[in-house]
Amino acid sequence: MPPEANDDRQPPQWSGLDEYLDSDAFREAMADEFPEDAAEWTDPVTRRGFLSLMGASLALAGAAGCSPRPASGRKILPYTSQPLNMTPGVPLFFATAAPLAGYGAGVLVRSHEGRPVKVEGNPDHPSSLGGTSVFTQASVLDLYDPDRSRRPLHKGNPVSYEAAVDAVRKRLEGLKAKGGAGLRILSETVTSPTLADQLDALLKDYPEARWVQYDAVGRDNVREGTRKAFGKAVNVTYDFTKADVVLSLDADFLTVGPGQTRYGRDFAARRKVRQNKADGGTPEQMSRVYAVECMPGLVGTQADHRLPLLASHVESFARAVAAELKVGGAPAAGTLPDAAKAWVGPLAADLRAHTGKVIVIAGDHQPASLHALALAINSSLGSVGENLPVRVWAPVEARPDGKVIDLPTLVDQMAKKQVDTLLLLGGNPAYTAPVDVPFAEALKNVPVKVHVGLYDADETASLCDYHVPTTHYLEAWGDVRGHDGTTTILQPLIAPLYAAKSLHEFLVDLGGAGAREGREVVRAYWKRRFTADGRSGEFEDFWQESVRKGVVADSAAKPEAATLAGDWSANAPPPPAAPADFEVNFRPDPTLYDGRFANNGWLQELPKPVSKLTWDNAAFVSPKTAKDLNLKKWFAWTAGERGRVEVSVVELEFRGRKVKAPIWALPGHPDNAVTVHLGSGREKAGRVGNVESEPNAEGKPVRGFNAFALRDSKSPWFAGGLKVTATPDEYYLACVQGNWSMVEKDPISGTPLDRRPARRGTLDQLKSDPKFAKVPPASPGETELIDLNVPAPGDRSHGLPNKGTGVAPDNKPHDHSNKDATRHGADQEKHEGHDHRLTPLTMYNPNETLYPKLDEQQRRRWGMAIDLQACIGCNACVVACQSENNIPVVGKKEVTRGHEMHWIRIDRYYSGDPATGADLDTHFQPVACVQCEKAPCEIVCPVGATVHSADGLNDMVYNRCVGTRYCSNNCPYKVRRFNFLTFQDWATDTIKLGRNPDVSVRSRGVMEKCTYCVQRIRGAEIVAEREYARGERKDLKIMDGEVVTACQSACPTAAIVFGDLNDTASTVNRWKSEPTNYGLLAELNTMPRTSYLASLRNPNPAMPGKG
Amino acid sequence: MATADHPPTHRRPPGAPAAELPLEPEMWPLVQNRHDLVSVGDAIGNVVLTRVHPKQWWVGLLAGLIMLQFLAVSVAWLFYKGVGIWGINVPVAWGFAIINFVWWIGIGHAGTLISAILLLLHQKWRQSISRFSEAMTIFAVMCAGLFPLLHMGRPWFFYWLYPFPNVAGVWPQFRSPLTWDVFAVTTYFTSSLVFWYIGLIPDLAALRDQAGKRWQQLVYGVLALGWRGSAIHWRRYEKLYLILGGLCTPHVLSVHTVVSFDFAVSIVPLWHATIFPPFFVAGAIFSGFAMVVAIALPVRKWYGLEDFFTDHHMDICGKVMLATGMLVCYGYFSEVWMSWYSHSLYEWGTTLERLFGPYGWSYWTLLFCNFLVPQLLWSKRVRQSTFWLEVVCMAALVGMWFERYVIVITLTRDQLPSSWGTYAPTIWDYATMIGSMGLFLTLFFLFLRFLPMISITEMRELLPKKQGGGGGHSIMENAP
Repeated sequence: MPPEANDDRQPPQWSGLDEYLDSDAFREAMADEFPEDAAEWTDPVTRRGFLSLMGASLALAGAAGCSPRPASGRKILPYTSQPLNMTPGVPLFFATAAPLAGYGAGVLVRSHEGRPVKVEGNPDHPSSLGGTSVFTQASVLDLYDPDRSRRPLHKGNPVSYEAAVDAVRKRLEGLKAKGGAGLRILSETVTSPTLADQLDALLKDYPEARWVQYDAVGRDNVREGTRKAFGKAVNVTYDFTKADVVLSLDADFLTVGPGQTRYGRDFAARRKVRQNKADGGTPEQMSRVYAVECMPGLVGTQADHRLPLLASHVESFARAVAAELKVGGAPAAGTLPDAAKAWVGPLAADLRAHTGKVIVIAGDHQPASLHALALAINSSLGSVGENLPVRVWAPVEARPDGKVIDLPTLVDQMAKKQVDTLLLLGGNPAYTAPVDVPFAEALKNVPVKVHVGLYDADETASLCDYHVPTTHYLEAWGDVRGHDGTTTILQPLIAPLYAAKSLHEFLVDLGGAGAREGREVVRAYWKRRFTADGRSGEFEDFWQESVRKGVVADSAAKPEAATLAGDWSANAPPPPAAPADFEVNFRPDPTLYDGRFANNGWLQELPKPVSKLTWDNAAFVSPKTAKDLNLKKWFAWTAGERGRVEVSVVELEFRGRKVKAPIWALPGHPDNAVTVHLGSGREKAGRVGNVESEPNAEGKPVRGFNAFALRDSKSPWFAGGLKVTATPDEYYLACVQGNWSMVEKDPISGTPLDRRPARRGTLDQLKSDPKFAKVPPASPGETELIDLNVPAPGDRSHGLPNKGTGVAPDNKPHDHSNKDATRHGADQEKHEGHDHRLTPLTMYNPNETLYPKLDEQQRRRWGMAIDLQACIGCNACVVACQSENNIPVVGKKEVTRGHEMHWIRIDRYYSGDPATGADLDTHFQPVACVQCEKAPCEIVCPVGATVHSADGLNDMVYNRCVGTRYCSNNCPYKVRRFNFLTFQDWATDTIKLGRNPDVSVRSRGVMEKCTYCVQRIRGAEIVAEREYARGERKDLKIMDGEVVTACQSACPTAAIVFGDLNDTASTVNRWKSEPTNYGLLAELNTMPRTSYLASLRNPNPAMPGKG
Repeated sequence: MATADHPPTHRRPPGAPAAELPLEPEMWPLVQNRHDLVSVGDAIGNVVLTRVHPKQWWVGLLAGLIMLQFLAVSVAWLFYKGVGIWGINVPVAWGFAIINFVWWIGIGHAGTLISAILLLLHQKWRQSISRFSEAMTIFAVMCAGLFPLLHMGRPWFFYWLYPFPNVAGVWPQFRSPLTWDVFAVTTYFTSSLVFWYIGLIPDLAALRDQAGKRWQQLVYGVLALGWRGSAIHWRRYEKLYLILGGLCTPHVLSVHTVVSFDFAVSIVPLWHATIFPPFFVAGAIFSGFAMVVAIALPVRKWYGLEDFFTDHHMDICGKVMLATGMLVCYGYFSEVWMSWYSHSLYEWGTTLERLFGPYGWSYWTLLFCNFLVPQLLWSKRVRQSTFWLEVVCMAALVGMWFERYVIVITLTRDQLPSSWGTYAPTIWDYATMIGSMGLFLTLFFLFLRFLPMISITEMRELLPKKQGGGGGHSIMENAP
């Protein structure tokens, strides 16, 4: 049949005359060549062909309709013009800073196709040095929070932004005549130079207006204390790298605070102990840490000596130490418990012995007088000054003189109807205000309340007339200063998801001078600063460089003279008496801060570092106190059980205010004190913070109890006079690790069966027995095997008999006849290295030689080492992993059922006497998949869904997994996580935006686990291949440090190192060659690729207790 | 002394001395009362064909059907929500599903053991209970097979456990005991089913011939596969039966051995033990006999079949249970001994947790049910008492369930104390377990109704020669 000439523009084409003529011969030839299809070809439409086509189409249409997530339902728009620097699939990093309560920590944010998905630390920023805190890591989830406000509101009704701003502006203009009397601005701490400048300008226009900076977790005591000590407002920072001895006076500088990340890095730098000179950290340089604390915090867990002490006794203790050190002007100490008294002498002696290399640091919540005292001790010991451990700078916050009032004054004015218009720029004072400062109540007297914030339904926004959505820091231009004043220019990574404006833009619009973009506002300010600071060069260069690096050069605060004021101890309060009843302690929540993260699922589900509670706060008491309270249930398990814990509910009564709280006995907490964390119990947090089916102890659908309901402005941090009454109620808590699980007792004899998963020792022990960590718990004969099972090339014989027959692996060329001739016989000769770890000892061959033809340079053996000494248990790695690997949040109920999904967990073990808290030592051990070379999980999977890769990773093939969970049973580390239910959020659009596109999103019925961030490894390999092909690198080798796992990069203390074990020069190899290196459960012959460096303590022999 | 001429009645008059039973089966009739070929056929066949079923049958079937609804609902919910509705979690990734799987598989052991191994051993007493226990085996294995399927995270991919040609070129992972399990259970089910059906053929033909109703004639006729009872049929039948018996014998040992590998191949403390295969097989036979006797006792009473399933059978079953029960207890002892002797901290620590930890009660329940209660079987009076034997059987069934519970619960406390957890079943765990029992009961009561629960052929063989039987010899043996 000839082709039909149905298209006039196209003349018919044919390949031969036969075809054109459609002769019988042609048909036959066709039939011969394609015997089955010939008829189909020649017949326009056969019945058979029609039916099969129709059938197939119907089936396909039906199958497409079955998809619950139709891709076709969404519009996909390609870039009409490709943005600069963007290659689809290749992520970009942008420098900015994550602000928390006013202070910024420098970050590099990874953006995939215009979506910020992962926050990393900025190595150039002094508040980060590449590390991050849990808050910084989790901040990206807030960007995608589906409960963020999406439009401006007026009394709850949607209104256009312009209308809202116009209305407020008109109001302000009306106030102008009175000089702005009645205008009040309420914000959190502001360090942003641009915002401060804008507010200054506003206050200039409205001279009678006043500005209130209120932070529930404020640093007022610190500010006041430094003012007392130095006679002026200054900012004090600490350089832990310069301190031989650290005394923490109830200071938890590793958990919260502007410098927490940097302090962690510096602190750990002096605590790491290395035999290998390349890593620094000789045993001699290890600092000694004394911690005097009430609520067990991260500093206490790291301390060589820890003293549990009531918060109100801390000042007396410090005074006693000061008296012993003969610090001039130190006020008299009060009475102290015996245990504390015994500390004073030896501690003071140790401090004095290290004059000039001492840090005495007081907790932010301790009174100003203690801060002054601590600075006086530092001063008298010669530690304050340039290049010394304690440094003094100009203040970082913006506080224009005479324009600032405090919250109680504001509320008082509001109550007296002196406030006409209140601008609320961020913060949630209706929730965080002290109870004796009835902010929410007084707000009713303010005619116009304008709220600018992320949420339109939180406690404060819902009381306001106008609400304007504000941008997340990843959506807008801005600037912020770090703990030492270093400034970062914030750059947006994404256009605002909703109709939100940054504070800068809002204030400009309020000024009425015409709308300007945030970028222009910030740029204009810095252009002025550029000239004012007298910087040389072009402004454009300065701007580009500052934005690109994430740090404005030379922007740290100016150092201030640090002379102790003569009257530093004037007006010091008398030594506090022993508190009546119980002492109540208010502390910021280690994961929710002051409640601002109450709707952040990552932080809600993140176990609190020490108690390991998730989704709830509790009334923390000592085990003895819990016992004395005669509670029905305060200790619901016999050992370290995970999951659901039923505890009794107590009623806390403080100055007539009552709150019901679940009790939690925490070893190391001083007796007769209760610590409560602020930030829980938010009634209007959002879909994460308020779930009907998960009520708190009072039966309200909120997470935890609201400790703010107890707190007043008189004693915002601690005070005696708390009454604790047992109630018959019970409440269940979700705890991912129970209490005393380090030492397990023989149920018959009571003798300890110490499995010692987290090995620990002392410096002295390290000197006398460097290999103390390698003693296996099972049988001494296995020591050699364990040495072998911790994989690292290089000489790892550690003095073992080396007969070259499989005992000491050594993959370097070596000569047996040389120096060890006597031991090995003269017949041994020099030969190439042999690595017996690659020789299968069992039927379960680690498939590392499956691909023998791989280029030698590509033969890599990835491995990890974790320094338990440096791990402070802060959990940053847990959130980083969750963010990097699209790990779902499961919710409180599922955590209580043992279904949490974190790929990396921080195990916490105690040693010492939990009942009294004396000599209590806490150790953290991060555990993710250790990537066993002889992985027990692999041999039991019936479908081969978990297999070894050529570079020795224990891979998980999600698509192949059928969910028998045998691998999890057989994993001695229990690091595998199973999607028992559909934990992934497939419904919320914004959450999808935040996912890492390089990592599969797992759904129900599939096992998952740590992959060593395989996507990053493969990414680095692709980069190496591409650069090699372009001639940009000379081989395919991946440099040490080129692949950084998410946990490693997040770690503020650099406790994790990752690299190629075949690269003998790699850091991971050096770490693994340390004598303290050991493999967790290596005696099981799993040959873990992740190994641990034992934790060390540097106790002072003169101290009481440990001896 | 009972003789062929004066067989003892199955119920002894009160106060009369217990009859001494000779050991030689030929000397003691395994069929009581003066049955002949016809009366045997009637007594068994009429149950199926004409008899009005006793009330208990209706009650049993109804109970089974009600319990079956639990299965339907819980499986529907399971497929909708996922295995997270169960109490399993991360340290205890296997829960009721695996416990029930192993329990049912164990119960499914008695049938083939009785039919195959005892056939080869010429234990003629087996003939009375073989059909009945084979059917039980098949239903138990069906219940067992359900659980591994349900317990998968993605059950719709169950076929990935079978080696089948596919374009991806992916095969099962043959080092995994779960893969072995798939083969073992599939093979066991297939061979048990074939063996059972082959044994049924002459009886189906007998039913066809006896049947009065047309549909019965048709159905049984089709199922009888054209059996005419000719000598050549019998000859081939006997040979095939013997060959199948030989083939099934290793399966009895292999299937539970392989199931035990699910645990023994792992490195979980107390799972990793070489004692597991024999220990599991003994436990399986123990629980299998317990189930056979537990069901046979009421059924023979309801249907008046005491003539075929006699006190003598009970006595023998009791002895088998006593022997296997003691083997199992040896296993318990050996586990504790080895963990102490090994000096492994993990083994011994976990043993102490098993004995005295939070789940210690389940271990002591297990020892009570499997060790203490079966001691009663030393007494012949217990072995021949319907009530007491039923009690012992029930205890054994509960005990063997707890054995698997104790094994699985070991996962709560393994090597690393940080990951220690708890396990508590949810209502869906219970619903699925009850549902599986419902499936078993339903199938079993339907079996009672539609198929001869005792082999007519073999009963006829058992009749003394002068009553027309083979005197305990097979038909071909007596063929001229």
